[in-house]
Amino acid sequence: MIVIQILLITGVVTISAWLLLRPKSHQVRASIKLLGLLFSVLAIVVIVSPNTSNRLAHVVGVGRGADLLLYALTLAFIFVVLYMYIRSKEEQDQRVILARKIALLEAKINQLSRESDGERDGQSSPTP
Amino acid sequence: MHRDVYVLIPAYNEAPVIRDVLTEVTAVFPNVVCINDGSADDTAAEIEKTPAVLINHPFNMGQGAALQTGIDYALQDPEAKYFVTFDSDGQHRLEDVVTMLPFVETGGYDIALGSRFSGEAENISLLKLLVLKAAVRFSNLTAGVRLTDAHNGIRVFNRPFAENLRITIPNMAHATEIIHQISDGGYRYVEVPVTVKYTDYSRAKGQSVFNAVNIAFDVLMNRMTKR
Repeated sequence: MIVIQILLITGVVTISAWLLLRPKSHQVRASIKLLGLLFSVLAIVVIVSPNTSNRLAHVVGVGRGADLLLYALTLAFIFVVLYMYIRSKEEQDQRVILARKIALLEAKINQLSRESDGERDGQSSPTP
Repeated sequence: MHRDVYVLIPAYNEAPVIRDVLTEVTAVFPNVVCINDGSADDTAAEIEKTPAVLINHPFNMGQGAALQTGIDYALQDPEAKYFVTFDSDGQHRLEDVVTMLPFVETGGYDIALGSRFSGEAENISLLKLLVLKAAVRFSNLTAGVRLTDAHNGIRVFNRPFAENLRITIPNMAHATEIIHQISDGGYRYVEVPVTVKYTDYSRAKGQSVFNAVNIAFDVLMNRMTKR
């Protein structure tokens, strides 16, 4: 197995496992920032000297820099999709809790207003 | 009679049948809570014509979320001792609830679950039968509780069980979540044979068998993302 295969498989497994097991971890948010930083630095390096990506690719056993870029992008994509999935689940949970509070409050208000209607009717003169 | 029993009925787009179901249930049980889960039809108006308490979800949140809302509502009443979940589409029989109640009231069980496979399933399609059997196997495998029917909406449980129940999967997969709660909390459970009527209405409304895939995925993801 060439270096890149090991790197990519490790990457996929680590990202999936890590995200799924620690969905709320602040480490996830920190790592996104760090990855962003790393991306900017690498981007500038590659823009300034385009050949760097090729050299880097050869080191890990990939033919061209463009291919290496694609692989890295794929990993980043998996990471982002999973992260978004977990975030949206969290937000869904919060939305459900909030909506339930509203539904229960509404039921409570209806119940109270029915009770006070009943009291008023009882005190007032017989309904026509 | 049955002052300490709360019947919780989640309803989503059941306008054609909900009134008959609620009329039947409210004749036997004084405390009936119907959770209108953001229906697009006249379900809410139909519920209001009955003595049942109406709770409106502002949008559709799924059957599991609706049940949790009903439980939260019922728990506000300190007199509430027994909780019944019942489907709104008319496929369950009220007699089965009456049969199941004593198991929890006096039988020493925390929860009684309806089973259509130790009871009867009328007019069930072969594909649905196979999928449901697979769901049972999946559930037995992941939960460690032995059941013959994993996704039956008819259940009776006591207050301690209701207080500890936190349904976090909003959709249909909540059935498996309830089973996990049984195994995690070491509750005493019993399966009671019930009859499920597969009418043309419930067949048209029922879950697609493809949804089993979604349910399995949700259950696994939920197990993984929670400790």
